[in-house]
Amino acid sequence: MTTRTPFDIPAHASSDDPRVTLDEALGTFEPIPPYPPRTEREAEFYTLRDGEMFVNMGPQHPSTHGVLRIVLKIDGENVVDLDPVLGYLHRGVEKLCENADYHQAICYTDPLEYISSLFCEWSPVIAFEKLLDVQVPRRAEYIRVLSGELNRIASHALFMGWFALDLGGLTPILWSFIERDEIVEMLAALTGQRMLFNYFRIGGVNGDLNHEFMSRLGTWMSKATHQIDSNNALLNENEIFVRRARGLGVIDTATALNMCMTGPNLRATGVPFDVRRAHPYSIYPELDFDIPSRTEGDCLARYLLRMDEIKQSLRIIDQCLHEMPDGPVMAKMPRLIRPRPGRAYAAVEGPRGQYSTYAISDGTDQPYRMRIHDPSFVHLQAVGLLTPGNLIADTMAIMASLDPVMGGVDK
Amino acid sequence: MTVVGRTWERLTIPGKILAVVIPLGAVLTAGLAVLIALVGGAVVQFLVDNLPLVRFVVAATIVLLMTVPSAFLIIYMEMKVIALMNLRYGPDRVGPFGSALSVVHGLKVLMKEDFTPTSADVPVFTLAPVVVYMSSVMSLLVLPFAPGIFGQDFNIGLLYFFAMGGLTVVGLLMAGWASFNKYSLLGGLRSAAQIVSYEIPLTLSVVGVVLLAGTLSINKIVLGQAGTVLDWYVFRQPLAFVIFFIAVTAEANRTPFDLTEADSEIVAGFATEYSGMRFGFFFFAEYVNVFIASGLTVALFMGGWNAPFNWPWPVTVGLDPGGLGIGLLFLLALGPPLAIVVLGLPFYLLNSQVKFWQALIIGFVLFNLLAVAAVLGLAFVSFDWVVGLLWFMGKTYVFVFTFVWMRGTLPRVRIDQLMGFAWKWLLPASLLNLFVTAGAILVVNR
Repeated sequence: MTTRTPFDIPAHASSDDPRVTLDEALGTFEPIPPYPPRTEREAEFYTLRDGEMFVNMGPQHPSTHGVLRIVLKIDGENVVDLDPVLGYLHRGVEKLCENADYHQAICYTDPLEYISSLFCEWSPVIAFEKLLDVQVPRRAEYIRVLSGELNRIASHALFMGWFALDLGGLTPILWSFIERDEIVEMLAALTGQRMLFNYFRIGGVNGDLNHEFMSRLGTWMSKATHQIDSNNALLNENEIFVRRARGLGVIDTATALNMCMTGPNLRATGVPFDVRRAHPYSIYPELDFDIPSRTEGDCLARYLLRMDEIKQSLRIIDQCLHEMPDGPVMAKMPRLIRPRPGRAYAAVEGPRGQYSTYAISDGTDQPYRMRIHDPSFVHLQAVGLLTPGNLIADTMAIMASLDPVMGGVDK
Repeated sequence: MTVVGRTWERLTIPGKILAVVIPLGAVLTAGLAVLIALVGGAVVQFLVDNLPLVRFVVAATIVLLMTVPSAFLIIYMEMKVIALMNLRYGPDRVGPFGSALSVVHGLKVLMKEDFTPTSADVPVFTLAPVVVYMSSVMSLLVLPFAPGIFGQDFNIGLLYFFAMGGLTVVGLLMAGWASFNKYSLLGGLRSAAQIVSYEIPLTLSVVGVVLLAGTLSINKIVLGQAGTVLDWYVFRQPLAFVIFFIAVTAEANRTPFDLTEADSEIVAGFATEYSGMRFGFFFFAEYVNVFIASGLTVALFMGGWNAPFNWPWPVTVGLDPGGLGIGLLFLLALGPPLAIVVLGLPFYLLNSQVKFWQALIIGFVLFNLLAVAAVLGLAFVSFDWVVGLLWFMGKTYVFVFTFVWMRGTLPRVRIDQLMGFAWKWLLPASLLNLFVTAGAILVVNR
């Protein structure tokens, strides 16, 4: 085991070291940190054996789904080890929320997962409602479920496109963007925004269903099943796609549970855990839908499971539209909210897994503490577990199949 | 100061320029005349004596000039076809239906900064795109476009072709190594592994065709497929055709075998550090390779420039302009003006909005179009190479379209699947094809 760096610079030379000039430091191009190793793991990782080299992937790499940086240690085409470097998108959302009142806090949680913003609003809203002990009108709950399931379909459609793009297919991303764009446009008609909706309010939703939303939804629903089937037909029977995804990045049930994985990634390993059924909230207990699960636990299972979930979401939307009651969409709320001191926890099932919020009130109009659990962060840990031993190309496939969003990871 | 100096001082700047240029031109012209008188005959004699060499130089120039437009055409085709498959519009701003976009791209590439990384191996870095481009252009030299229209007809044309194709890998490896970038290095090594592996089934699959044709000359292989569609080698060597097409896709680094420039894995592969016209050379070489791959598939398996049925042409057109005598002069002098007036008159008479001079312009344009159409039609009817060129290009662009179609449809294979496919499936299949073909020839010829 030898430490090898170009230009004979000591492996972990500090920038204070007089032997290190700027030119040489620029000339190395090695992703070795310029400080001494802080942990044993770091010391071991940044030591190269014979034939190994580092490849710095990201934060501007085309397929790291945002600003994730991964230092890959490769031996030829094989990935020996990897070290994810996070924090390029850290905004301190939790701390920001503590300095805003309860209404404003929802705006800050919105851009956490910019692909499925409604769920990032949903869990703090439920937590605050628990703190305040508010009864949400039935119509508002139906509208929340309706818009949430639409957002889930948009997110899964985007997943399909990105997964195929990371496997080298050009067309699926543009086909799936048709679905996503139609949904996003109809949600824009409902909420006023395309991505960061800021639609849910403590005690209800911002506005009632309007004509444009309903007409767009009706047009889309009449062809949705056909379109989604045709999108799937492009990939599900593609020999190259199936051969690349099958048996890749297998997680067994015990590991998935130990790593605290939730959502489709857990259900693909055979555990039909879904917050909507396990810890029901809103009107989900009254709705009729299945929790699809698969036992393989590989990338293909994760992909197929999300495609099944789209169909279940369509069922839920159908029921919501048929059973939606009349009535107000907002409970009677004071303008300034001062919940009694206490604490509340709320979890919702998002497209990537369980989003949950833990909020503590000290009786003022601002949350005393607020913590957000994001599934992407949990799932990103699995990349380090699944990738070593695979090829460079598989790193992208595994990462795309876990479907992390860096906005949620870095918070 | 002398008289000459004072005169020179009095001259204006255009005058100075003329005072230099006119005597110089006179001297040079006189010198050229003397030179032609002295050695012109010898030069002409030399050219006539070395006609193959002259032909080679001319052909090489034409082929070199041909690469860029054909690459432009394929790039535009790819942008437009993939856009339609993706349910997009594609290019639609520059030129009619965006057709000038690839030309503008070419100009943009020319104007960009020619950047070399600090740590790059400069000579190798500079040479790499040239090597890649050169190998593509040199492969084009043996491609038979039409009867009599080819750069050079070697006895070992096919062998030369594969040798030049194999040279591409050297350029890619040079680019990957010299860039001092790990993504480039990975891309270069991938291309080396891929192209060397696929060279073997590619070459072996063609041996069956070579056995049938009895020659390595691509021109003679095409001639061997004359007749109807059933004489094309694709029907006698279907397995070889499939193997060849797959292998040639891998050789051209096209989807689903585009691992060398897999943008979702290794950014842009060997071309990561290249910019400006150096990148442009790689880009052109890739699309010229697509054209070559399609052209060779057509030449070897799809009958080349042969029509799929017995083409009735060339016919002899009994035109003898000399028979008109002095009438020819009148025809040339009076024919065009009369035709312009006759063609333009209906527009003037039938539409009161059109002025007479506008009608004359319309007539002029129409007459030119008709004249061009007549000349082209005459060429189409009386020269077999015009028809052959059309058939060859038509078939080739069908295959170019297939390449584009695959790019729009298929994901990328993994490196181990790629290598396994070459060594475990294509190589045994091509060997089987070779043995069966050889056995069949033995049995039939006995």
